[in-house]
Amino acid sequence: MTMTTTRISGTINGREVTTEVDNATLLLDLLRDLGLTGAKPSCEMEVCGACAVQLDGLPVSACTTLAIELDGRTVETVEGLAQSADALHPVQRAFLQKSAFQCGFCTPGMIMSAKALLEANPSPSRDDVVHWLEGSICRCTGYESIVEAVLEAAEEMRNG
Amino acid sequence: MAEPSVSGTSIPRLDGPAKVMGRAKYALDLDIPGAAHGVAVRADRAHARIIGVDASKAEALPGVIAVVTAASVAPIDVRFGHISRDHPALAVDKVRYAGEPVALVVAETRRAAEKAARLVRVTYEDLPAVIDAEDALADGAPLLHEVHPGRTGDEGFHNTGADALEGNLCAANLIEWGDLEAELAAADVVVEGEYRYPMLYGYAMEPYNATALFEEGTLTVYTTAQHPYMVRDDLARMFALPLARVRVVVPYVGGGYGTKSYTKVEPLAALGAYATGRPVRVALSVEEAIFTTRSDGAVIRARSAFKSDGTLLARDFDIVMNSGAYSDNSPLVCAKLAARAFGPYRLNALRVRCRSAFTNTTPASSLRGFGAPQGNLAGELQMDEAADRLGIDARELRLLNVVRPGEEILPGKRGIDADLAADLELLTESLGWGEREGVGFGLAASDAGAHPTSTALVRIHGDGSASCAIGATELGQGSRTVLSQILADGLGLPFEKVSIVQSDTGVVAYERTTGASRTTTLVGRSLLAACDDARRRIRELAAEYAADVQDAPGGVVADGEHLSYGAVIRKWFGSGGEVVGVGAIRRHGEFEKLPPFWEIGASGVAVSVDEETGRVVVEQLTTVGDVGFAINPLLVHGQDLGAATMTLGAALSEELVYDGTTLSNPNVVEYRVPRVSDMPAKIDQILAERRDGIGPFGAKGGGEGAGNTIGAAVAAAVGRLLGRYPRELPLTPERVWRLAQEAAPDRETEAVRG
Amino acid sequence: MQILSDFQLHRPASLDEAVQLRSELGDGAALYAGGTELLLALKMGVLEYEHLIDVKRIPGLNAIEVQGAALRIGATATHRDIETSPLVAEHVPALSKLARHVANVRVRAAGTLAGNLAFGEPHADPAALLVALGATVELLSSGGRRSLPVEQFAVGAYETELGEDELIEAVVVPLPTAQTRATYLKFQVLERPTVGVAAVARDGDAPTVVVGAVDEKPVRIEASDGVEDYVNAARDAVDPVDDLSGSAEYKRHLTGVIVRRALEALAA
Ligand code: FES
Ligand code: FES
Repeated sequence: MTMTTTRISGTINGREVTTEVDNATLLLDLLRDLGLTGAKPSCEMEVCGACAVQLDGLPVSACTTLAIELDGRTVETVEGLAQSADALHPVQRAFLQKSAFQCGFCTPGMIMSAKALLEANPSPSRDDVVHWLEGSICRCTGYESIVEAVLEAAEEMRNG
Repeated sequence: MAEPSVSGTSIPRLDGPAKVMGRAKYALDLDIPGAAHGVAVRADRAHARIIGVDASKAEALPGVIAVVTAASVAPIDVRFGHISRDHPALAVDKVRYAGEPVALVVAETRRAAEKAARLVRVTYEDLPAVIDAEDALADGAPLLHEVHPGRTGDEGFHNTGADALEGNLCAANLIEWGDLEAELAAADVVVEGEYRYPMLYGYAMEPYNATALFEEGTLTVYTTAQHPYMVRDDLARMFALPLARVRVVVPYVGGGYGTKSYTKVEPLAALGAYATGRPVRVALSVEEAIFTTRSDGAVIRARSAFKSDGTLLARDFDIVMNSGAYSDNSPLVCAKLAARAFGPYRLNALRVRCRSAFTNTTPASSLRGFGAPQGNLAGELQMDEAADRLGIDARELRLLNVVRPGEEILPGKRGIDADLAADLELLTESLGWGEREGVGFGLAASDAGAHPTSTALVRIHGDGSASCAIGATELGQGSRTVLSQILADGLGLPFEKVSIVQSDTGVVAYERTTGASRTTTLVGRSLLAACDDARRRIRELAAEYAADVQDAPGGVVADGEHLSYGAVIRKWFGSGGEVVGVGAIRRHGEFEKLPPFWEIGASGVAVSVDEETGRVVVEQLTTVGDVGFAINPLLVHGQDLGAATMTLGAALSEELVYDGTTLSNPNVVEYRVPRVSDMPAKIDQILAERRDGIGPFGAKGGGEGAGNTIGAAVAAAVGRLLGRYPRELPLTPERVWRLAQEAAPDRETEAVRG
Repeated sequence: MQILSDFQLHRPASLDEAVQLRSELGDGAALYAGGTELLLALKMGVLEYEHLIDVKRIPGLNAIEVQGAALRIGATATHRDIETSPLVAEHVPALSKLARHVANVRVRAAGTLAGNLAFGEPHADPAALLVALGATVELLSSGGRRSLPVEQFAVGAYETELGEDELIEAVVVPLPTAQTRATYLKFQVLERPTVGVAAVARDGDAPTVVVGAVDEKPVRIEASDGVEDYVNAARDAVDPVDDLSGSAEYKRHLTGVIVRRALEALAA
């Protein structure tokens, strides 16, 4: 009998999750099966960032990450950032203030990528933001408001 | 109506918190209990007769519920199409493009369905295929439709050139006036050229998906459609159901830009549900989305005739569009491309012949600006070329010929409701025209708004708050917010006391489409009419208790006393109750003359070129949003920048490339859309608010215009730097490098002369 | 939608175990480190394996350290590990910079340098610079260890010298001397480089120039007589094909341009 499933446990948005997954399951599908539909499938080829979540703090493409990667590690999705609209993460607040989205389909991935940037580099220059978001596509906004939002969030987080 | 207080402000988006928290539900995110999953088996060749479909291996796979084909659902006629009912949801007898759905595998999980789909064996007999549009129109070309598809007869599409269609001609339009030959003969300068605009993939980031179920004799579909009512019509025709028995629900949509106009994936889901009795979800990948709809590529042969003083005398366009295997919206694009090629200029004579050709490629349809970016490339580039030949400044040449407010550009149509000359001055000043190198700009006026049919429903509740039920779809453009602002002003209520329900044909009022930049203008007007109707009802109720009743913000003044709407309602009903207002606009009265408004394009760029590599860098982008009145200025800027950015993609990198009969880049790895690093260092967004639109408070639509001139503007800017104008987009590094090579000898000669 | 076929997962706790699995499972197994290239290929159905050997969790295999006169980059070190490693920045700054511009931040966070080499994708950044720097790969199998210059390891498109029973243990870059100058310059339109040029000048010697991403494997440019000589030699040496990044003719031209610019950057 060959085993094509694996028992894993890890942390998703601060909660311990233990589950048996098909080895072939992608992290994005696992998350969405758990009701966490914030991360979106779009290109499914690692280029757009709509599926971005943080894995041990760094942004990854959940569309091209195996669910077994969760084992012993920590995943954060957009749903973990705030429980209510009054308690938003500074990046979320900045996205609202700058109107850094339209259809919003790219937004969860953008926000998680931006949050990962600010955790890795609390004082990014404009070029740093552009460089970091190069792999995050938005078809609606023309990006300007997104870059501004990330810079504003950085400032807010620094002034804390 | 009183001056608006909520409209005209950049109120934060209603959908903001849900979207930044990841809670906004898109069709893809809906949890439909018991839903099975459908995956299409797609043709691996461009043109072939179907000999047989062997699904036995697929059906044997665990979890597979059914393999649906056109034959298996007989006598259902699986064809759909709002202009021509020529598009089988599942291929009948033959396939007409690589990627066309032949069968639908329905299984318990998407994985099982996908696996099974790979096991379905379709045997074909290949037919000769035609990929190029001009080849398709040539004598003896392989025929896509043996029987030419007719038209559905929808009044709104009367102008889609249905006469004398034969062979692979999908649609044809002719616009003609004046004595073209005489004007050409009288001209001092005639600019002539052939221009090419690529086939594009709109890449709305949420790929098409739909979930369908039959319940209580009603077909309900949750989908990504921009036009739920149009989809309803198609589904009602397909399943022979009354319109009342088809309900189309559209939650948040992950990008539209015209690509989600009209019916796409809904029939597949509905056929799956019909065949299995289960709710069925069909969610496409990006690759499948590319095989569902693209935009029409175009080859445009153009001539423009001028007097030596710069007077534009006449223009002549011969346009061939590559429209793919089925009509979809291409006939309308054909009509629009014809009307949008020659620009907002005075002309003694004009001839535009535009033909749309069926080819063995993905069906083409609308994409932001439909027709305008294609036509504008030729029309505006010829203004620039002519300016150089005439020795007249390119801006002055346009100012000399551009129509002034109220003037017609199409005989019998509404006169121009904009001051284009003033827009051009704002634009060129921002770009530093005349003071720096590498600047390109242009003008466009699109007959926008589509057919002016719109209805709205307003409910004033017992506490004096109000909601509206609207058929227009929130695509990200911000219609929830803008329409709520208009509702608040229409009833004199604060923004916090209004709400909106959208895009559920089972609940909301009829809306023809969400496209052609019409929502703010047309829905805004039907919504205001519904507000007036509700206020009239409130006055009537109040009049039962008072002799003198006057409108007042948020209520009435009855015999000198201010009564809120709630007070009037509660008094009249005694307990509970509400007042309903309905509003409608149609092609009548002030909306009789089409188009309802002209959508203006006045955008430009400054670029630099690395001639050795051919790389173009956009240094500055300026948009002038001539929207009459910005209900929400921040959202207008968002639309303008978004539209301009999309066309920057077409100008510089986006293009679907066929290699033989195979699409080489059906993915966003090799089809490059703009990235954050492509954005110009300087972005200048200007609003021109002259209250000259037919919409609420003088507004008129935006959202496409800012992109319509960008292709030509980039080409002109590059052309000015290189000394030779490009005539084909996108300006990939290789194309620009080649152009620089070609231009080099000319420039050397000039340098010698100079 | 893209799906993966079922596979068995093996998670060796040590290199020995990994090597053992490698020899047992042979070509039915794929090594899984970053997975960025592998998973894409599996999802598209281009590749299929019954077994995945997950080497990611082997302790210490991601170490980046200086050993003697070489920088040793463990097989599971990611592009991001390299980009942010102070050791790499100190000793081989051109490699830090290259790592910073590989694909996008998510790919850099997951993808590994060793995996990149093992996959043999011709349109990639690292190989050219590694060849120019004289880097080697350390290969391990149950039969023992061997070391191979990257230049020999890369055979062609998706083809390497990696044996069925082998795995890469580390990529080893000889430490450049203080006088060595190195640069990597690329031209890119789509997701992968169209042309990438590595130039390394050691102690005043004529520079080593290697062109990557154009041919199926990095091409060393034999020239010695100044910039134009290199440019011409590079144009002659490459054998480009027409693809979505451009025609062969254009890519040949572009190779010359980027070689010139790389050499100018080196001299600057
Ligand atoms: S969906 Fe994962 S990167 Fe695009
Ligand atoms: S907001 Fe629509 S894709 Fe970014």
